[in-house]
Amino acid sequence: MRYVVGYSANARGHDAVNLAVSLALGRGASLDLVLAVPEVQQSGHALAPKVGFENLLNEQAQEWLDQALALVPSGVPAQTHLRSGESDAHALIEAAEEFGADLLIIGATSNGIFKRFSIGPVASALLHASTVPVALAPHGYHRQEALTRISCGLGSRAGAEKLLDLAIGMAANRDLPLRVVSLLELDGGDAADAAGGADAAREYAAKHLAAALPGGDQEAGEEPKTEVVVGHGRSIEEAVDRLDWEDGEVLLIGSSRLAKGRSIFLGSTANRILRALPVPMIVVPSDYELKQPNQPASNDIPGEAQK
Amino acid sequence: MSTERAMPQASHPGQHTEQHHGLSEKGLKAGSVGLIGAVVIGISCIAPAYTLTAALGPTVSEVGVHLPAIFLVGFVPMLLVALGYRELNNAMPDAGTSFTWASRAFGPWLGWMGGWGLIAATIIVLSNLAAVAVDFFYLMLAQIFGNPELADLTTNLPLNIATTLVFIALACWISYRGMETTKSVQYVLVGFQLLVLGWFSVAAFSHVANGTAFDATAIQADWFNPFAVESFSAFAAGVSLSIFIYWGWDVTLTMNEETKNPEKTPGRAATVTVLVIVIIYMTVALATLSYAGIGDTGLGVGNPENQGSIFAVLAGPVMGPFAILMSLAILSSSAASLQSTFVSPARTLLSMGHYKALPQKFSRISPTHKSPSYATIASAVAAAAFYVITRTTSENALWDTITALGMMICFYYGITALACVWFFRAEAFSGAKAFFFKFLAPLLGGVMLLVMFFKTAYDSMDPAYGSGSSIGGLGLVFILGMGVILLGVVLMLVMAKLRPEFFRGKVLSRGH
Repeated sequence: MRYVVGYSANARGHDAVNLAVSLALGRGASLDLVLAVPEVQQSGHALAPKVGFENLLNEQAQEWLDQALALVPSGVPAQTHLRSGESDAHALIEAAEEFGADLLIIGATSNGIFKRFSIGPVASALLHASTVPVALAPHGYHRQEALTRISCGLGSRAGAEKLLDLAIGMAANRDLPLRVVSLLELDGGDAADAAGGADAAREYAAKHLAAALPGGDQEAGEEPKTEVVVGHGRSIEEAVDRLDWEDGEVLLIGSSRLAKGRSIFLGSTANRILRALPVPMIVVPSDYELKQPNQPASNDIPGEAQK
Repeated sequence: MSTERAMPQASHPGQHTEQHHGLSEKGLKAGSVGLIGAVVIGISCIAPAYTLTAALGPTVSEVGVHLPAIFLVGFVPMLLVALGYRELNNAMPDAGTSFTWASRAFGPWLGWMGGWGLIAATIIVLSNLAAVAVDFFYLMLAQIFGNPELADLTTNLPLNIATTLVFIALACWISYRGMETTKSVQYVLVGFQLLVLGWFSVAAFSHVANGTAFDATAIQADWFNPFAVESFSAFAAGVSLSIFIYWGWDVTLTMNEETKNPEKTPGRAATVTVLVIVIIYMTVALATLSYAGIGDTGLGVGNPENQGSIFAVLAGPVMGPFAILMSLAILSSSAASLQSTFVSPARTLLSMGHYKALPQKFSRISPTHKSPSYATIASAVAAAAFYVITRTTSENALWDTITALGMMICFYYGITALACVWFFRAEAFSGAKAFFFKFLAPLLGGVMLLVMFFKTAYDSMDPAYGSGSSIGGLGLVFILGMGVILLGVVLMLVMAKLRPEFFRGKVLSRGH
């Protein structure tokens, strides 16, 4: 299993490496640290040759990659790659597809002062075009230990079952508890209404979870410990804030139905969750499960679901 | 340790300098640019709409109606020097260009000054590009809102300086972020420039034919005779200005690895580019002279009022309501050029930092944007400072900067061409091809340019030179040009104290 890490020699790149290590530790995955450099162009009045600048840039990039490698603990196999492409996002997606990676891991930007996540141009481009799940490390993510819990954001749209399957597989493979999270936005209203809404959401989530869990004839030991929680607040952000999050937790979320084919499009709700979320988020392309039967060799996250 | 490196390591031969001279290790997409693409890159580096509006006036003030002759003659030293450039670039592809090459040929001191000349020239052109963009920005606003008063805002000194600084800052920011003009945008900008310049010429000639021209002047064969220029001073000044209008063309010669056919494409692209450029320059020069004459009143090209930016004055009367297209063409080409030209001084400064000829911070590459970070910002600050100084001391800042710029280009091109001759001296007589490309062409080109440089520098001491601005009895162009070079000498001596390593020839060694 290979994870591609979008590295840059700044805080964002460190966050991504830390998250990648956390994710890899539970699954024995190997990391491909990819540094994307822009395609150098000829330009300007006075001759400024590409090749010369490219050499300096590559030398510097190699130094950065060596530093990146030093961030990875010795128990996690890792390689470095220098790539160039039209854009960083382009280069990363190409690398992920070339390596048959199961996950692309990047850091969110560090610009957001009040927000833990703020999507930079690279992350944003990736979230619109990636064909593999994208894991986003929040700003300042410094954990390098295995995960402790998997959360799965459950919306009411079609396709939620597939995401749930994937989450169950991920939790089972890593021997972690699974938490199904439903988020409710209640504008005002009385407490009774809120409670009613929460109960309905809980019931809905529990029903889906029961349907998704392997039947009684399966070995009981394979089944992860599960729990259903409903977060509610006047806004999605508040609902996220009110839930408790473990340090070693990640939240799985499906991409919006607007996504073309197999790629990711972050819906508005997911975007708002992202803004308030204190833990990493993994965004899964909408039709991601479907490509699985065609690529049996790829030991994918959905592969975990099929275990 | 289970980690491993997948990147092919650069081979590091013992000598420090050698590791930068190998070709790029990275799998570049070879063969991505065809003939048309290469020509477009060449033309867009020259930015003809901008160079014409900036250089036509000052050149006419020197050589009068012999403008077409000077534009043709000016290409000769450019070509000769560019041939030497190509040889150096093939032997030592390096971001520092003139700096690195002159250091390898002549040692650290002259090398440093060669690099300084290149940086100074690009800093000057940056400030001029921004100023031209600002003029046409306000002119376009006036044309859009049908309010001529808006165009006059550019003569309001504080507002003009503020707007220019904003333009420089924006271009610097874009360059710092590592954003580059995409190929499709380049195609559109180049096509649009050529179209508008063609339109301007046709419109000017039809005014002449209809008898509605400002000062209809019949084209004469004498206009093409460079020997008819009245004095050698005028000739030298004219040639150094016309070096400026071809500046950027040499890029086509050095595009080897990214062209579809590295054997033939760069040569053909250079030829096609120069044909297109010469045709458009000739057409526009003739159209302008025929329409406006060289008189020094009204719309005449000889009028000092018009010389900073000729199309700002002529586009309206010639093109009527469509003059806004000219504003748009010049604004877009100078803005695009402003942004892309930032790359040149930034890469040279980066390289000088890398070779320890400048403080370490100049060699920084931004981890986020992968562009020369400190060097780009330093270039912007220098361009802004240069503009503020020129604008506040000169009566016609655009005119004087272009003249000083021509001088500076002659200076560093001359050094570079002679560096080529000296660097390859051992191979010069190994065959006819080597003799011509590595010895004769750069030698002739370099000597010509240095002669132009010294002649222009000497003449510009006259307080009446250029726009006629002077400080303490010395012409402003001389003060600007020599001041910049002297500043370079001072900085070099300071650097030699701070980081003597480079100046002892320990970083970039001489010879092969």
